[in-house]
This record gives sequence, structure tokens and C-alpha cells, in this order.
Amino acid sequence: MRFMMLMIPKGYETAAPGTVPDAKAVEAMMKYNQALQQAGVLIALDGLHPPSMGARVSFEGGKPKVTDGPFTEAKEVLGGYWMIDVKSKQEAIEWASRCPGSPNEVIEIRQVQELSDFPEDVQKAASGFQEMQAQAGQRAK
Amino acid sequence: MRFMILVKADKNSEAGVLPDEKLLTDMGKYNEELVKAGVLLAAEGLQASSKGARVKFSGNKRTVVDGPFAETKELIAGFWLIQVKSKEEAIEWVKRVPFSGDTEAVIEIRQVFEAEDFGDALSPELKEQENRLRAQATAQRK
Repeated sequence: MRFMMLMIPKGYETAAPGTVPDAKAVEAMMKYNQALQQAGVLIALDGLHPPSMGARVSFEGGKPKVTDGPFTEAKEVLGGYWMIDVKSKQEAIEWASRCPGSPNEVIEIRQVQELSDFPEDVQKAASGFQEMQAQAGQRAK
Repeated sequence: MRFMILVKADKNSEAGVLPDEKLLTDMGKYNEELVKAGVLLAAEGLQASSKGARVKFSGNKRTVVDGPFAETKELIAGFWLIQVKSKEEAIEWVKRVPFSGDTEAVIEIRQVFEAEDFGDALSPELKEQENRLRAQATAQRK
């Protein structure tokens, strides 16, 4: 089962453009990343620049409307993620618990949808999606 | 530059309502265009937050809270990871997402950190470790 571990750092919603974590935090996190990797569960991981460097697109009335970051109404934002392949939600929770997180951080664990989770007619309509993912090159086997 | 395109959850995605055939067909076409343009790196949907959990940190203490997380307005339903030349190009791609007018859909565009963004915080040793880790994670998927 694939799970996404979503890192939500409180305060990141107002971080200035160009904000980066300090060396000590990066070093601690790299040790954790390596543990995930050595256990063979790590599929992908990334950090995201602060929302002040991003944008949002809404589709009210079918017309895309672009709003530049930061997003003042947002009380929490994503700081980064890990994609892991484990045997159960419990195992995903155990991995998240081993993360060297700070009191301002929360990790949200969400299971990734597999094609087999969908009913047959939906699977049919989505045919080609797995090939597409394979072509994109980041899909786990 | 890599960008993460985050699709916000709504009532339907949180209720576990699956997309209908029309949306799936439209989305399939859109994804195909992303692939043909060579910009798509990954795309996934997430199960409703009711099937998820959150872990909170306080010193050595960990608190696990089971989903759903109704109190937050910032839940995610899925994402695309794309490689483009600029934020503007990312925005152009997102504007073309086939969401019809009746959805309250919101999509967030966030640039992904690359090793060089960290400057001195990422020592040469850490940088090498990071590269090795990514190469191994990729190899394991093959």
C-alpha cells in the first residue's frame, strides 16, 4: 500500500519567499530519510518552497482565476511530503512517528488511490492511467 | 523547475464520492497532454482523510489522531508533479485542468525545492547523500 506522509509545518503559511530550513534541521531529516530508504519503503520525497512563492487557481463559473501567494486565509499549508510503500496504515504511522518533527509540525498520513480501489466501470474510463504513470517515470511497482 | 500542483479536497472527495466517467475521460485527455508535452513526473489521487491519520510532535512524545480532519479547510485530494520552465508555465497548465463550473475546485501551485536552493545549509556530504538516496529510491521502483 502506498501512503503519502504530508508534512504540515505551522507558521510556514506566512514564511517569506526564499525561506529554507537550517542546516541542523536538514541534517536530522536526512538521517530519517536514509532510514526510510534503507528499509526499502521510500518511493519519493520533496520539499516545497513557501506558499508566498506559489499561486492558487480557482474555477468558479468554469473560468480559471489566479491568486498569487501567500494565501492569507490558509491556516495550514504543506511543507513537503514522502511517498512510502508499506504493508499497513499502522506501519505508515510508525514511520511518521520516527520523524524528527518539531512541536509546530504535524504529519498527515493519507493512502494513495490505486486503480483497483475503483469500481470496474471507473477503471475502464481511467484505462491508460497506469501506462501514463509508468511513462512519467515515478510510479512504484 | 519542478512544481507540485495540489488539488484541494471538497465535500465529494472527502465523502469518498468517485469522479464520474465524464470527468475521468476529460482528466485522462488532460493527463495525456501533460505526458505528450513531457512535463508530467507523477500524478496520484488520495483516499479521503477519514481513512488517514495525523501524527503530532512534542519533544519525544508522539500523538496519533485518526481522520477525518473536518476542522481543516486545507485538505488535499490529489496532486500532479510537473517539470516546466517557469511558474507562469505551471499556471498555464493548471488553468487548462478540465474542472467544470459547478465545482468549488481550488488548485495550489508550489515550487519544489532543488538541492541547490539550500545553499550552504546542504553540505557537500549531505548533497551527495541526498543524490544517492534519490537514485536508490528510483532504482527500487524499477
